Amino acid sequence: MALRTLTQAWITLVVLSVVTTGLTLVSEHGTSRKLLIAVILAIAAVKARIILTRYLNLSQSPFWTRVFDIIGTVFFALLYGIYLVGGAA
Amino acid sequence: MTDNAQNSDTEDDNWGVLGELPGDFMMWVLIASELLVFGAALLAFVAVRATDVTGFAADQQQLNQTAGAANTIVLVTSGFFAALAVSASAKFQKTRARVMLAAAMTLGLVFIGVKGIEYWQKAEAGIGLDSSPFFTFYYLITGFHAAHVIAGIVIFALVSYFDDKRNIETAAAFWHMVDLVWVILFPIIYLVR
Repeated sequence: MALRTLTQAWITLVVLSVVTTGLTLVSEHGTSRKLLIAVILAIAAVKARIILTRYLNLSQSPFWTRVFDIIGTVFFALLYGIYLVGGAA
Repeated sequence: MTDNAQNSDTEDDNWGVLGELPGDFMMWVLIASELLVFGAALLAFVAVRATDVTGFAADQQQLNQTAGAANTIVLVTSGFFAALAVSASAKFQKTRARVMLAAAMTLGLVFIGVKGIEYWQKAEAGIGLDSSPFFTFYYLITGFHAAHVIAGIVIFALVSYFDDKRNIETAAAFWHMVDLVWVILFPIIYLVR
C-alpha cells in the first residue's frame, strides 16, 4: 500500500476518533441520544472498514471487501437494534 | 510452460476467491475467528444492557472515557507504523522496517500502560470482575483484548529478529485485527448509553 494512502487512512482514523470523542460531550436524551449513538456506531463502522481496506489491504479484492461490508452492516444493524430494544439511558 | 509452472498455476487457481485475500490465508482464518468471538461478546453485552439500562449507564460513568479515547488514537497510530513496516519490508528496507516495528511496539506498550492505569483506578475504587454485570463484561472483553495486544507486541519482537517480508506482513495483519477490534469495542463499552 502506498505511503500516501496509508497516511490518508491514518489521518482519517485519528480525525474520526476525535469526532467520536467530541460527540460524547453532547449530552442528549431520548430520540436525540438514539440518533447520537447511531452516528457513533456508524463512525466505528467506517473506521473498521478503513482498517480492513487500507491497513489490511483488503481493497485489492472487491469480493472480500463486499463480504466484509455485508457482515459489518448486519453486525452494526443488529447491535443498534438490540440497543433500541433496551432504549437510551 | 513447464510442468512445474503448470502445477503452480493450477494450485493458485484452486484457491479461487480465497486466493484474493491479501497475505497469509491462515491469518485471515484467525482474524475471522477473533472477530466472531469479540462480535458475539459485544452483542451479548448490548443484550444484557437491555435488561438493566440504568445500571449499565451508572457503571459506564465510572469508566475513564478520556483514557479510552486516547488509547484509540494510540492504537490506530501503532497500526499505521505496522503498515509502514510492511511497506518497508516489501522494498527490502530492513532497518526501516525494524524501526517502524519498534514504534508500533512502543505504542502497544503505551496502550497497555494506559489500560493498566484504568484497571488500577478501578481496583482502587473497589471495582472488580464481580462488581456488576457491566464490569464483568468490561473486564472480560477489554482484558481479552489487552492479552491480544501483549501477544502482538511479543510477535512484533519476534519478527523484528526473523524479519522476512512474510513474517512481518503476518504479524502486522494480527496487529490490525487487534486495532480493528478496539475501534468497535471502544464506543460500545465506553460510549453507548
